[in-house]
Amino acid sequence: MASFTPYTYIQCPCHDSTSQSRTADDAPPPTTTLPELSENDDDHAFDPRAHRSTFSLYPLEHLLYCDVCHQIRCPRCVTEELVTIYCPNCLFEVGTSSLKTEGNRLTSDYLHLNKSLTAANRTLTLDAHVAVSNARYVSAPWPSKLSKPPPDPTLLSADSATPIPPGPWVLTCSYCHWNSSEIGVKFDKPQGIFGQLQKLRYGEDQSKHVVSGDTSPTKTDSVPETNKARFAALKSFYGSQTVGANPGAGLSGLGDYGLNSPGALTRIMSIYSGNINGLKPKTKSSVMREADSPNEGFQLSDLDEGAAISQLRRDGWDGTVTGDQAKTQVEEGAQFADQLWPIPYLLRAKRSKRCPVCRHIISKPESKVSNTRWRIRLIANNSIPSISIKPLNPPPGSGLLKPLQPAHFLLTFKNPLFDDVKVTLATPATTPGRFASRVTVLCPEFQIDANPDNDMYLDDVLKDGEKERQRRRGDEGIHQAEAGKIWERGRNWVSIIVEVIPSSLRIEPPPAILVKDGDPEPDLSPLREDEDVLEIPMFVRLEWESEASHDQVGAATSREKDAKEKRELAYWCAIGIGRISQE
Amino acid sequence: MASNTGLASLPHRTVSSIRAGAHSATTPGPPQTPARPISSTFGSPSGSSRVDDDPIVIELGSRKLRLGFAGDAAPKRIVAISPEQQRRTGDFRVWEPDFSSQWRSRASGKPWGADHELWQLDVRGQDLGVVEDKLERELRDALFKYLLVDSRPRKVTLVLPPTLPIPLLSSTLNTLFHRFQSPTISLLSSPVMAAFAAGTRSALVIDLGWHETTVTAVYEYHEVQSWRTVRAGKLLMEETYELLLQAVRGYATMERTEQTEDRLLDESLSFEECEEVATRMLWCKKAARQPHRKTSEEGLATVHEHEEEGEEIPPTEDHSPMAITLNSCKPPKTVEIPFSQLAEPCEAAFFETRLSLSSFDDHELPVHHLVYRALLQLPLDVRAICMSRIIFTGGCSHIFGLRSRIFDEVSIQVEDQGWDPVRGKGSEQCKTNLKLHRDSSRQATKNGSVPVVIQPDMTNGNGEATEPQVKAADAPQEVDHVENLIRKEQNYKPQVQGFLRAIDTLGPWCGGSLATQMKIPALATIDREIWLQQGVNGASRPSEVDIKMGQRQSMGPSGLMRGQAAQPNNWTLGVWGTMF
Repeated sequence: MASFTPYTYIQCPCHDSTSQSRTADDAPPPTTTLPELSENDDDHAFDPRAHRSTFSLYPLEHLLYCDVCHQIRCPRCVTEELVTIYCPNCLFEVGTSSLKTEGNRLTSDYLHLNKSLTAANRTLTLDAHVAVSNARYVSAPWPSKLSKPPPDPTLLSADSATPIPPGPWVLTCSYCHWNSSEIGVKFDKPQGIFGQLQKLRYGEDQSKHVVSGDTSPTKTDSVPETNKARFAALKSFYGSQTVGANPGAGLSGLGDYGLNSPGALTRIMSIYSGNINGLKPKTKSSVMREADSPNEGFQLSDLDEGAAISQLRRDGWDGTVTGDQAKTQVEEGAQFADQLWPIPYLLRAKRSKRCPVCRHIISKPESKVSNTRWRIRLIANNSIPSISIKPLNPPPGSGLLKPLQPAHFLLTFKNPLFDDVKVTLATPATTPGRFASRVTVLCPEFQIDANPDNDMYLDDVLKDGEKERQRRRGDEGIHQAEAGKIWERGRNWVSIIVEVIPSSLRIEPPPAILVKDGDPEPDLSPLREDEDVLEIPMFVRLEWESEASHDQVGAATSREKDAKEKRELAYWCAIGIGRISQE
Repeated sequence: MASNTGLASLPHRTVSSIRAGAHSATTPGPPQTPARPISSTFGSPSGSSRVDDDPIVIELGSRKLRLGFAGDAAPKRIVAISPEQQRRTGDFRVWEPDFSSQWRSRASGKPWGADHELWQLDVRGQDLGVVEDKLERELRDALFKYLLVDSRPRKVTLVLPPTLPIPLLSSTLNTLFHRFQSPTISLLSSPVMAAFAAGTRSALVIDLGWHETTVTAVYEYHEVQSWRTVRAGKLLMEETYELLLQAVRGYATMERTEQTEDRLLDESLSFEECEEVATRMLWCKKAARQPHRKTSEEGLATVHEHEEEGEEIPPTEDHSPMAITLNSCKPPKTVEIPFSQLAEPCEAAFFETRLSLSSFDDHELPVHHLVYRALLQLPLDVRAICMSRIIFTGGCSHIFGLRSRIFDEVSIQVEDQGWDPVRGKGSEQCKTNLKLHRDSSRQATKNGSVPVVIQPDMTNGNGEATEPQVKAADAPQEVDHVENLIRKEQNYKPQVQGFLRAIDTLGPWCGGSLATQMKIPALATIDREIWLQQGVNGASRPSEVDIKMGQRQSMGPSGLMRGQAAQPNNWTLGVWGTMF
């Protein structure tokens, strides 16, 4: 609490600022006021405390920059493309096609079973562990386990002490010494763990259900018990109902996406020969009945939950699944700890990002999984000035701002561009919110010199800078917070001073004299989270001239090579200065 | 992937070719002829485009979103709306050690548990922009992290609860169209999909949700009517809070904490912990007496098992303490609550049997009364079908014993009262007094005393009216030729109807996934272009287009083609557009 790090958040210009709040009473939405608001939206100061702005504020490091459109791009306003899909645990690369068939989790029937074993093991150990100590470890990784060499599913048979290879295999966790024989999970062979687990969990019926259809897929003998099998049964039931209804028609193709050619052909024929004619013979549709037997996916619900209630009574609080555990499970519906199952690893994807406007790639990783470098990455840090904050005179003691006492802060703007940048700042005189602090930017307009990119002349430049600084210092003599003047200037940075008068955080109704009749009820609720942080909304406008980009196909080609283009960028940012002490 | 290029716009073509190049670079091996999609040479051009994009099915709820691809048996990702997702990017305070103990400052200034809801059904005073933002962030997270899709536009199927407020629907559509560039969005109704996923065409769907419990009658894939009550998850949570607070304090207080500020005291508990207790420990008592169940061959297998556990103490009598560790109160405490007490929140939230029926407002009817009333208000035929297809869905239906309790209570009510909407002393007397009863029903000669039944001048006007008047109910049923024809169909099986029966569903999401994969036309399909042009106000009222277009709701084989032939000029929001 006591420590507070000043921060800067930048609001991506992609946000949609139209207010959509609805009136509290029954009156129809104020159609007259809404357009008004959006019209003079520019006058509308940005409120970093509003609930919506949490979704559009980003730290500078999270932002990208499209250097063709010259615009900031936040994670919300880029289009993404998959480059590689891989397992974050074993770095196995998964193709997009198997992603479709096998889902978003690692179903390893490949040759890296051991790693998937650890993957499976991890969550189970978690569950066992949580049951023991009730700690909230769910998102904590288990590095001790994951770093193990491949033969780490220690082969041991629970019954026979001799660890011979053909014996049953279990999953163990080296962290909490749990092993899966406790829940009766043993494997015959150390391969295909995922498949074996599925088999243990669902029994054989899942595979049987698909294979053992004697004549048609609906007439299976096995009663589907799992949701997956029921789903498949329902699907085949509905398929048989819709297809069987009029077998000759082109609709038969719809069941399998119109891929088999005769069906597709008749469908095309019926489309092009005119719908009315095509539809006429089909109007005699037969009755589509309901599913009524278990192998069609129909199931009466078992309303008697006495067994579950007595289990709840027996196992108590620790026997039930915690909310975090239930969330991490792949399938929902687990309520007791013994219904938890190992979770295969969730796959991850490397993504390249494009500007949605000009389709220019602004971020592209190496496609190899083990390579963490980027081929292209245009981060905003290289294109817009960074802002750092520090107090001018570090206050003694707690470092909290004293209410109603002016404090001075030094904002340092650092220019990463190779051109001079003209910066214009604007802040509202008081911060929005319940506790309005006064803010004064002493020098709202200044220019930052270009970023000298030539390291060769670094010394010269340094000397120059030093000289210049000395000269300035000579000019200004002693530093003084003075309106209209910058505080300090470097090669590519400028510091200015912001004066704030923090408001008092006391929550009390306004004096009765000041309250008018039409005023809304004052908000006297207690202090909310982060309401004691003095946060300044600041509108930053940058202006610079740079060389025209020649790779653009547009009008720029006809111009001369050294033509300068004027560029402009403006955005809101929220600057967290410090906490106000509650006295 | 490559087959999509024909359809995609120009930028996309380049995108996919770049990506294909990247892939071929990574895979080592001898150079190969690039795989050509064989299907496109034989199939129709439209067919190939259809295969490629599997639509995404999204089920929207107040607390949870379910997402996945159409055709999957289970959603790939179930998002629970949580305040952790609503922090600024780069705010890592969640990882601070004392984060969870500081929940009071985070919870202040908002309605209790508001951070855990996507929206409130009462849109007055709500900022819909926040709803959009929340939804967008959750969707983006789920799509990119769990479904592992790219930003290509994808078709979306929304499974929506009945009568979702139009502003909420509008902002949902806005988000999907603007932020995710979906080309079309189909709307499906969640009760209909629950029935669909149960394999039936009609059902009475009882959705025990968060804000409200809805009872929706679905007949032949139409939503007939929907009833609602606030006795749902939120109320249950408040009851749980009171129960836990009493346990923490060690004494019972009569006053209820209505204000949010009162829930931030040292001894009070956080919403998260209340929910944890509510989902883990609550159970529901059985009905006061068991209904006499007719043991039909398809009847529930539940009856037998009740007797088996006779030796055990019944759970209602069990006062053995259950230890629950609570960390969010100051200081942390392990409370011991008798097991029987843990059934009380359910009792108070859903049934409230202590109070008489007349003391409830329309919006807070106990659930079993609501179900009974819903069945009562349905037309006779619909009721017969629906009552033997009762489906329970929703988060609260996972509470042990709640479903059977509601079912039993309704059965008892049906046994006691039958299907007679007339209630009260007068009707009671009328029933008990045999003389009166017989008079009115049988004898036409005493018409003078009961003038209501038959108009005498009508009978005089007709020549055939000389025969003794037969009450319509007693007349022999006419032979219905259409009915006979239907019976002759080989596919026909007599419908199960006329007794109460609960059936199990795979859930609305699975229904939506199934329906989308089967290419069943949705209630309404909205085109991106049209939405961007016209917005929510462009939607025609369903009543204007309903009959002519026939694009709504017909799910038979003929409906498939009609859905495709439907013109996009008149588009609707389906049943959700009827409100305005």
